[in-house]
Amino acid sequence: MAADSPSTVRDGFGTVSRTAGVVFRYALLAATLLGILAVGILFVYVANDAIQPFTADPGWHLTFFLTLVVPTLAVGYSLSGRGEGSLRVGLESLGLLAVMPLFAGGVAVLFLSILPALVVFSFAVALAIPLAAIVALQRTRQVGFVAKLVAAAVVTVASLLFVPNFIQNVPVIPVEWLLVALTIGAPTAAIAGAYAAASWNDRRVGRIAALAALGGVLVGGLVGSLTGVGGIAATVLATVAGVPVGLYVATVVDQHPTRREGLLLPLVVLGGMLLGAFLVRTVGFAGPASWLDWAFVTSDNSFSAESAGIYPALAGSIMLMLIVSLASFPIGIGAAVYLEEYAGNSRLTRLIEVNIANLAGVPSVVYGLLGLGLLARMLEDGLPVFPAVVADPLGLEPIRVGGDLFGIGTVFVGGLTLSLLILPIVIISSQEAIRSVPPSQRQASYGMGATRWQTVKNVVLPKAFPGILTGTILALGRAIGETAPLLVIGAPNEFGIPQELSSRVGAMPLQIYAWATTSGTEEFYTKVIPAGVVVLLVAMLAMNSVAIVLRNRYRQRN
Amino acid sequence: MGADNLTDTLTRQTENSPRELLVRTFFFVCAFVSILTTAGIVFVLVSEAATFFTGTAQFLGVTGETVSLVDFLTGTTFSIAGDQFGVLPLLSGTLAIVIGSAVIALPLGVATAIYLSEYASPRVRAYLKPALEILAGVPTVIYGFFAIEYITPLLKQYLFPDIGFFNALSASIVVGIMIIPMVSSISEDAMSAVPDELRQAGYGMGATKFDVSTGIVVPAAISGIVSSFILAISRAIGETMAVAIAAGATPRLWTTGSVDAGPVSLPYPDPAYFLESIQPMTGAMVQLLFSDITGGGLAYRSLFGIGITLFAITLFMNIVSNWIASRYQEAYD
Amino acid sequence: MADNSSKRLSRRKFIAASGTAGALALAGCTSNPNAGGGDDERSDGDSTDGGDGGGSTEGGNSSTGDGNSEYQNLSGEINVAGSSTVYPLAQALQEQFTSEEMHPDVNITLQSTGSGGGFQNYFCVGDTDFNNASRPIKEEEQALCQDNGVNPVELKVATDALTVVVNNENDFVDEITFEQLYQIWSADSDASTWSDVNSEWPDEKLQLFGPTEASGTYDYFLETVIGEEGPGMRTDYQATENDRTIVQGVQGSQYAMGFFGFAYYSNNTDAVKALSVEGGDSDGAVAPKLETAKSGAYPLARPLFTYPARESLAEEHVAAFAKFFVEQSTNEDIVANQVGYVPNSQEEADEMMSTLESAIQEAQG
Repeated sequence: MAADSPSTVRDGFGTVSRTAGVVFRYALLAATLLGILAVGILFVYVANDAIQPFTADPGWHLTFFLTLVVPTLAVGYSLSGRGEGSLRVGLESLGLLAVMPLFAGGVAVLFLSILPALVVFSFAVALAIPLAAIVALQRTRQVGFVAKLVAAAVVTVASLLFVPNFIQNVPVIPVEWLLVALTIGAPTAAIAGAYAAASWNDRRVGRIAALAALGGVLVGGLVGSLTGVGGIAATVLATVAGVPVGLYVATVVDQHPTRREGLLLPLVVLGGMLLGAFLVRTVGFAGPASWLDWAFVTSDNSFSAESAGIYPALAGSIMLMLIVSLASFPIGIGAAVYLEEYAGNSRLTRLIEVNIANLAGVPSVVYGLLGLGLLARMLEDGLPVFPAVVADPLGLEPIRVGGDLFGIGTVFVGGLTLSLLILPIVIISSQEAIRSVPPSQRQASYGMGATRWQTVKNVVLPKAFPGILTGTILALGRAIGETAPLLVIGAPNEFGIPQELSSRVGAMPLQIYAWATTSGTEEFYTKVIPAGVVVLLVAMLAMNSVAIVLRNRYRQRN
Repeated sequence: MGADNLTDTLTRQTENSPRELLVRTFFFVCAFVSILTTAGIVFVLVSEAATFFTGTAQFLGVTGETVSLVDFLTGTTFSIAGDQFGVLPLLSGTLAIVIGSAVIALPLGVATAIYLSEYASPRVRAYLKPALEILAGVPTVIYGFFAIEYITPLLKQYLFPDIGFFNALSASIVVGIMIIPMVSSISEDAMSAVPDELRQAGYGMGATKFDVSTGIVVPAAISGIVSSFILAISRAIGETMAVAIAAGATPRLWTTGSVDAGPVSLPYPDPAYFLESIQPMTGAMVQLLFSDITGGGLAYRSLFGIGITLFAITLFMNIVSNWIASRYQEAYD
Repeated sequence: MADNSSKRLSRRKFIAASGTAGALALAGCTSNPNAGGGDDERSDGDSTDGGDGGGSTEGGNSSTGDGNSEYQNLSGEINVAGSSTVYPLAQALQEQFTSEEMHPDVNITLQSTGSGGGFQNYFCVGDTDFNNASRPIKEEEQALCQDNGVNPVELKVATDALTVVVNNENDFVDEITFEQLYQIWSADSDASTWSDVNSEWPDEKLQLFGPTEASGTYDYFLETVIGEEGPGMRTDYQATENDRTIVQGVQGSQYAMGFFGFAYYSNNTDAVKALSVEGGDSDGAVAPKLETAKSGAYPLARPLFTYPARESLAEEHVAAFAKFFVEQSTNEDIVANQVGYVPNSQEEADEMMSTLESAIQEAQG
């Protein structure tokens, strides 16, 4: 780095005006910290309004200070004295424990409120069949590529046409949580197995890990369905949070025995929280009158501040993110692959590059106008697959499809608008990730006779994957907070959980804006909005922190 | 270049197989979506704005009320009820936000960039850079709420007792904070690209680190810094939610005061403009969404009239910024 | 995924079905509520489908009721836009209508756009099912609707008292006349300080907050106080479609004034001070209250409306919500206590109901 090398040269000089230099240095540091501190203070303000910690009994604070804060600090201090990365293991496992349940909550909302488990399962099966067929086709050598392509296309279309309908009408089906376990638990277990096999360099370990993960998910689901947690929620929690945490713990215990003590930290924190909760309940210390509580996160919005919740907005945001990921990631990554791996130095390539750079600077409200003018108004009756211009002279009826998807303020239009908005960010960050794959690795692949596509598939994309993932998560973090484009396409102020792609869009930032502008009472301003702001900030920070941790690990490895 | 040639040679035989062609076409289509997006934006803005301006609307045979381009660009009143769509009061509001946020973000951003590039240890940088990214990542609707709920009351209590409930100042402050990372990251890249030989030459002449930073690194990276300024200002111009919530909804021209300078009195832009409700272009667009009066949807179409103005300004600034940035890259590559 | 057959079922049914099949559940299986009986859940008269062949989820049919309650199997979407004055009433009613006890599977969205904005941009072009308005629909709007084949059905749902408010610390004014309001708000007035209006008032700058031109409240104030043929409203006040913003603005400065619907005042009686108004045929200055609005003594009392589109009433869940809206317009607790408007009298509600029912019959007939 440019900053490090001169410092050795400098040491002999500069003693004369050292004071001025020191002042300058600290002035720079202060300037750097000013913005960060200002926002930090605003976060404290808003969290204070949302949680109202000072309404709690002093005894409550004291109890948690003794059961949670003191032991955590003590363990943390002793870990930092040990070195060997124990503290890092402790913090990482704590972070995983904090963040993964949040994502699990998001996925659970998806299954509980938006996509019925049976539908997802039927489509998962319908997609798995052609996938298996394609893998099988690739292994046969007798048929030509075009024949394979046609066969794959036929299988895909047929599977998507008939399989979901068939499965959805089978008279006896597994209970919902079992469907969820099969839909997401099984693939997650397979990935966990593959990861374990690679990290222990032993296929048997991989198989054991996969089985253990699947077993854990099933046990979790069963326990959840028998207790009050609910089968679906428990299954998702076990899959999204349980499996990664288990894998992390297993890795630490088996591969870094010296850092094992680090795992004490999350244990102490969890134990302290449980003990503290038990104590305050038995003694009867009142907790803070927090506006941000479980009821706020899980209830519908309301006319009165007391019962207003953010659940429909949360579900709306999750549905939007699903559409945005499905629409923008394949296209964005595909575009990056084209620009980095295929495109020559032609004029068209340069035009595309310049165009992407400029798109990244287009204000979000202008993307909203694109959504309003094009997607919501001009395509209101659907995509003209057989446009009137062609149809009318021939005396035929013009054909348009998807008329219910397009239109003012639909989830579909909102999702597409946000997808276009973050597309340049996805492309640029994916390009950077792909560019950081060393050319020598590509040439090694080419040298062994691989084609471009084989090289992209087997060398470039796997190597660039963590970088691409980082960029896409950051882009999603941007999309989840966007308000203006949704307002422009005609989003409502009051909305329910979107049931279909043609429902009116709802999202957390929209809800905050609606509360800020249409709600009658002061309580909305001083309590409900801060609680909503904290939920949105937590979602945004969770995404950003995962992306940042991923990026740091990835950089260290390179 | 050499590597590319090698790749071409190695892959030439397989390049035209159907599978490779298909895959290549798919990736090309993905890349082409970005061109289609731009085309879509331009098409929507131009076709809708064309029905708003008198000249083009007559040409298209649009009936209903229109606004002449001259009135739009030179009008000093923006009133939906009065059918007066002069963009100048809105530009005036946008200018206030730009100036206010630039005063905060440009110096802080450059100072941050110098610190990160010249002073900070890699460990400190590893903490500061993600923290700065968060400044840009906080949803703008939250910044708007912060401005109106926390910053304005603080300003009223400690600095300006007369400040309006909606005011340009608090909106400028939050917009300034959110564009700091834009200035700092691009400027830092430019500073890191300054060759170490230049720094070492400076030290060799007996310069202190302060001298080297301000006398060598900053001038050498100046094109990158300027490019970051332009991009950040362009972002401030397009920022919507924070100003829609906090800046107010009063489209008005910048008020002028005047100083008595002997025989003539010199007018100057009154800084008190910042303490009252204004309305920038983006704020007017949000307001137009929630307003329309009967009579042919002139307000709906004016949305695109303002939109195309906004798009033209930001596009121009982005192009200039990219042009400046590409010049400095060539200098040290 | 929008045209998925299983979506025709409500989530409620899913839950109910999986709950009753407890034995099967323990075995890891359950009977599929989708299989076989799925077809009669299908609505038959939906036209929003874009030709992609799927069935539609809208418009559950109450005729296939399961005997529990005629409400239970209504589902679908209802989109409402329009007046910010009617918004809180619509919000309170949608909350009731979509509660667990009534129709949890009906999804009602509300958009506060101003009466005119709602007609112009959403309702008359067929994007919404209802438009709320704080003034009767205008002829131009009627014409626009007709051009697009939308027939608005006028339903009066409450009476409002347009309320003029000032800051709590304002101790020099308690009542105000139409003439003074004219001086303050009309375009041909040059009043910039309070003392310009009344010399006994302080020489402080007037700070004015009001609704935008899109608002029915604006139209009503213009017609009643300034006069339709008059000079129009001044343009240099802080205009916003969000009444909440007006409350905050007035609360924020001592010499501020604003006006909006009574509901926003009744929710913020501590935050701002309402003025008694004298004008029109009023007998001296009358305070804005539900009673004075009901009796007609308050000079700025006005009716509030909602306009369902006759075409949308063909769908059962839309018709049900329209009926609910009219039924509840007499509900003292919701309309007066929770929201803050004067409820309809029983006669008014009956009259609205007969209008509505004939429109529904026409639509479904």
